[in-house]
Amino acid sequence: MGLGTRRNLIVLAIIVAVLAIIPFALGFNQYYILLAATSLIFAVFVIAWNIIGGYAGQLDLAPMAYIGVGGIVTAELLKYYGITPWVGMFIGAGASMALAAAVGYPTFRFGIKEVWYALLTASLVVILNNITHLPQVLGSFDHYLPAKTGWYYLIFYRYQNIYYVILGLFVATVLINLLISNSKTGYYLRAIREDELAAEALGIDVRKYKLKALLTYAGILGFTGYLYIVLQGTYSYQTFNSPTSLSIAIMGIVGGLGSIAGAFTSAMFLKTVEEYLRGTIGATIPGLYLLIYGILLIIVGIFKPEGIAALFNWVKKKVGFENRGM
Amino acid sequence: MAEPILQVRNLVKRFGGVVAVNNISFEVREGEIMGLIGPNGAGKTTTFNCITGIYTPDEGRIYFMGEDITGLPPHKIALKGIARTWQKTRPFKKMTVLEAVAVGALLRTSNVDKAMRKAEEILKFIGFPEEKINALGKDITLMDHKMVDLARAIATEPKLLLLDEVAAGLRPHEMDRLADVLRKINSEKRITMIVVEHVMRFVMGLSERIVVMHEGQKIAEGRPEEIANNPKVIEAYLGTKPV
Repeated sequence: MGLGTRRNLIVLAIIVAVLAIIPFALGFNQYYILLAATSLIFAVFVIAWNIIGGYAGQLDLAPMAYIGVGGIVTAELLKYYGITPWVGMFIGAGASMALAAAVGYPTFRFGIKEVWYALLTASLVVILNNITHLPQVLGSFDHYLPAKTGWYYLIFYRYQNIYYVILGLFVATVLINLLISNSKTGYYLRAIREDELAAEALGIDVRKYKLKALLTYAGILGFTGYLYIVLQGTYSYQTFNSPTSLSIAIMGIVGGLGSIAGAFTSAMFLKTVEEYLRGTIGATIPGLYLLIYGILLIIVGIFKPEGIAALFNWVKKKVGFENRGM
Repeated sequence: MAEPILQVRNLVKRFGGVVAVNNISFEVREGEIMGLIGPNGAGKTTTFNCITGIYTPDEGRIYFMGEDITGLPPHKIALKGIARTWQKTRPFKKMTVLEAVAVGALLRTSNVDKAMRKAEEILKFIGFPEEKINALGKDITLMDHKMVDLARAIATEPKLLLLDEVAAGLRPHEMDRLADVLRKINSEKRITMIVVEHVMRFVMGLSERIVVMHEGQKIAEGRPEEIANNPKVIEAYLGTKPV
């Protein structure tokens, strides 16, 4: 039980230290810090996705549903009731978890898995997109956060504050992953991923553990959703964006299922490349990053189904470390 | 005479128009090794799947230690103390051998370190090669897989263990080794066993009592030597003599 080896925590401390220096290294250039914050928040998403997609092996394509619901609930609470996001984010997380329970309970009850689970969760994003598009809900236009700044609103003139808030969430998400990975739940989820029937015959309540993984994942995404909206500046029905949702799962797969380090590296790298392409040739060839993701997926599928994590393991073997936890 | 640990009464399982198990009844006594044999398609594995909750029987009841367990889900049946191995092994390929066995042990404890120690103990007990316990599931041999499957099942601390064609695909000397291990588990861990098997030499040498199934029905029951000479059994296996 616990967080696994001491080495995991040392590695985490080093990564956090490096991430904490980034705003300084970027000379507080606001555009670059916004990019760094966007990459980091996607790292949080992908590491949270690792719980359902990596450990439990359920190909969940609905991250934007949980991010959107949590974020929009928090934002609306702030806008119309003046409730600080510090409280609202918990309510947003609760809303996402309620949605996850409503989707997950019947899904797991009737044994929907593999490609059917993927399709069902992918359609969840589309359904929410359509529902919130109705004039009675969010309508066709963009919604803005209150034009106020400060810690009460978690909205700032400069991006470094929000960057550090996201860094804090990043640490929390990694610790939650480590706790799960080294606990009974982690072993049970991996057993379910490997072989559901065998897992069940060993006394594992497959439905219960899948639901547990889904709720944890949805809760983290719902909690982080508001910060995503702050980075975006606005929210609308388009927050429920299918390509973005898909890209989180792709980053998780490219990183390597069940690997925190792989998820982190893949999210930071791919999101940065995506933003870079958007900034340079995005105007002439929009959506080029999707093509790149597609090609990457094919490459990973053919050569390294274990993803970036396989590279880390190879290095670890060379250096002579044992492989556990991260 | 020992108490029956498992009672199967008038079990029926149909798939569409096919009656896979047709009114089967038998008892398993505490502490014994019982053989369950029959030609291909006799309904042995279906019977197993009904006992372990993978299928819900259409008719009949199953009692385990006096309690009706008919229709319970597999994980609850495992919790009550029935474990099984699989005809085609179902390895956890991306987990190490030790981790896979620890998953079984986690049924009776929530402490991962304790489960790991217990897994190590069990692997040692069944004579699993020590240098391979940290190998990944995808890197070991069929014999190893059978042993891991077995260790995983024992780790759940069952009172009754169902072995589905555990000897299939093994070489003769491996079978002998496996038979020794099973006898050791039966006597030292006091685990009752039902052995479904095709390999006659293996099941005849191992079981104290044998139930024979044919086309979903029980056609004979008795000691191994009685079964070997039972004309009905010979007919089921070899077909009717041409006149």
